[in-house]
Amino acid sequence: MINKQDNDAGQRKRERFLRAVAGQAANELDSLGDSGGGNISLEYFYGVLEQVYVSNELLTVWGPDMARKPVIGLYCIMAPEELIYAAGAIPVRLCAGCFDAAKTGEDYLPRDSCPLVKSSMGLTVNSGLKVFDMCDVVIIPTTCDSKRKLGEELSAFKEVWMLEVPHIKDTEHSRRTWLEQIWALKNRLEGFVTPDGRKCRRITTAALGSAIDDSLRAQREIRRLLDLRKADMPPISGRQATAVVNSYAYAPVAEWTSALACLNDSLEKQAVSGKPKPRIYMAGSPPVFPNLKIPELVEEMGGIVVSDESCAGDRYLYDPVGSAERNLDDQITALASRYMAPCVCPSFAPNQDRLYVMKRNLQDYAVEGVVYHVLKGCIIYDFEVARVEKMLKEMGIPMIRVETDYHPEDVEQLRTRVEAFIEMLKIKRKAGAKG
Amino acid sequence: MKISRLRWAILAISFVVLMFGSYAGLRLGNALPTFSCCYVNTRGGTCFMLALQQTIGAFTLESMLVFMETLLLFSVLVIIIGKAWCGWVCPLGFIQDLLFTLRSRLGGGYVRFTESVKRKIAWIKWAFLTIALVIPVWVAFPLFCPGVALNLYIPFCQMCPGKYLLPLCAGNPDRISVNYEANTTVFMSVLGLTFSAVTFIGATVKRRFWCIFCPLGLIMSWFRRISFLKLKKEDVKCTRCEICYNVCPLDIEDVYKSRGKRDVTFADCNLCLKCVENCPEEGALKATFLGKPVYVSSQRKFFDKHISSCGGGCSSCGEGKKEEKHDDQQAG
Repeated sequence: MINKQDNDAGQRKRERFLRAVAGQAANELDSLGDSGGGNISLEYFYGVLEQVYVSNELLTVWGPDMARKPVIGLYCIMAPEELIYAAGAIPVRLCAGCFDAAKTGEDYLPRDSCPLVKSSMGLTVNSGLKVFDMCDVVIIPTTCDSKRKLGEELSAFKEVWMLEVPHIKDTEHSRRTWLEQIWALKNRLEGFVTPDGRKCRRITTAALGSAIDDSLRAQREIRRLLDLRKADMPPISGRQATAVVNSYAYAPVAEWTSALACLNDSLEKQAVSGKPKPRIYMAGSPPVFPNLKIPELVEEMGGIVVSDESCAGDRYLYDPVGSAERNLDDQITALASRYMAPCVCPSFAPNQDRLYVMKRNLQDYAVEGVVYHVLKGCIIYDFEVARVEKMLKEMGIPMIRVETDYHPEDVEQLRTRVEAFIEMLKIKRKAGAKG
Repeated sequence: MKISRLRWAILAISFVVLMFGSYAGLRLGNALPTFSCCYVNTRGGTCFMLALQQTIGAFTLESMLVFMETLLLFSVLVIIIGKAWCGWVCPLGFIQDLLFTLRSRLGGGYVRFTESVKRKIAWIKWAFLTIALVIPVWVAFPLFCPGVALNLYIPFCQMCPGKYLLPLCAGNPDRISVNYEANTTVFMSVLGLTFSAVTFIGATVKRRFWCIFCPLGLIMSWFRRISFLKLKKEDVKCTRCEICYNVCPLDIEDVYKSRGKRDVTFADCNLCLKCVENCPEEGALKATFLGKPVYVSSQRKFFDKHISSCGGGCSSCGEGKKEEKHDDQQAG
């Protein structure tokens, strides 16, 4: 009797939790939909996010095939998803942005860890959201402290494979270690069988080749989208673009790519008129759907996010795999290179490369101001603020540092600061035009 | 035309011209900065290494004066296109590329020489060069063991894998033999045959195996600062993605690693331009001739090359296109 009551209470709690997660996601989708101008088709991407977080139906995104395949959850962007596709499994990326889940996660993780990690923990512990529940394994690269320890804590609830990422990138030793890790991951995937008998295939040159091709097509389209945003009047707002890229985390690559190709085609035709808005670059911690708080604030206050360096945004799919030959050795080497060498995650030290990437983006996208987003607890991005600020000063680009978490309570306070920043940029532009 | 195809075509044409040029009456001189081997009777021109050793071996004023002219011509040739002679012209390079491609078709793995390995074996090309420069002096002035000295005429050529492999490829297998005239010639031909065998096998498991040991390449690399043809890098555009390193036949790390350097024509670089062809960043790498860009990396080139590489067996391309069309119709 008591057990039943407990179960009922647990059930109700779970439902309440899922409703809260769905509510936040639905709100965010609503406000994203509003912000669009013209008749560009973002339906597919919003649809993916809606199905994952609101209607909680992952199967409609992936099709009936999904039930026969192992599902592999990924954190960060260091685990090569080409390997997972080639092994006949399904990759989904789990870095989460749900506020309510972050609250739950706080019971399991230190208060000072970042909200992204707490949110992911919360969604794993409070079962119910299918994208988390369906994962047979999660792969966690040892990037920042939070992610590394998250791996350990998650292992009480899920099968966790840790992937050891070297923190000094450009030595022969780290390249060798990392290559070994990727080979080990390949072997581990090939031997993987779920308890109910779904298994991965052997990874062949042909399978890996076509998985790499699929990713390359996605990358070609994402670069097209990025190029479109270089225009004086970008045809798509920054948070919409972020949502488009975010949705990749849960969608099959081929379908997502053809939807993006359509989107790019229609964006190319679209003529945008009006007054150019101050062009903002989002630096720092990644905004992950449904936590698009900061890009949203920037754009509500009259700016436009033209580019970012987020691992869930413009940097997620930017770098391609280029293998010298079509054989397994070269493909794996190329994968290893792609997933470590160009990555400018601040968990690497030294991370001077990040400044180069940023500098190029600031020039290419004619950026006028930088919003440096620091998620509370994301200490590594905060460490690099001074370095970035120094470079920006030399380039004559103003910067504002915004520290926040997933909680909506500080929005109004941040709004005032962001508004002032954007007004300042407008004045600066006018002064520049006169001078 | 893709630049890799163009390079293959030029390599093949050069091979024919340099190996069989005399049939067409070609005489391209003896200052060629490429392995146009003096042991191939039908050659169209002669490798600079021969003139270099012959001159030192003769050690007379007249020969030195004649050599000045050869050296000048050699320098001009190297200054014009730099070590592109190695990547685009060299007959031994062509054979190595062929062997490596054959290996790739048969589906075997291959090795890369990491920077530390390369540092450890860097002395070998200096040793070859020293042999080519010092032993001819002994030949000119055989103050001791004159019998040995006289048989060491053009010592590097006797050890060079080109002496054995190139005549073989030009249809003359007679060179693959040990010269029993004297103990010295036996020793030198055994050494040469060993190097040839090592190079032959090496070329199938390591891209451009011989080029790392080549003393002619070493001499040519000294001209790289004043050469017209250069490899340049736009620092801010480079994401250090390592692709240029992975495709480089000479395993040069510095191209992606260097920061703050515009000229990235490093000593080992053969200017094959594979790095430019495979660089996914718009204008990050380029080949310049007299400062003018002649071949520039671009993302379009990268994706065209790498996506179409899936060949006939890949069905997903066709499907992808169909889906796109389908979606277009829906959107319309």
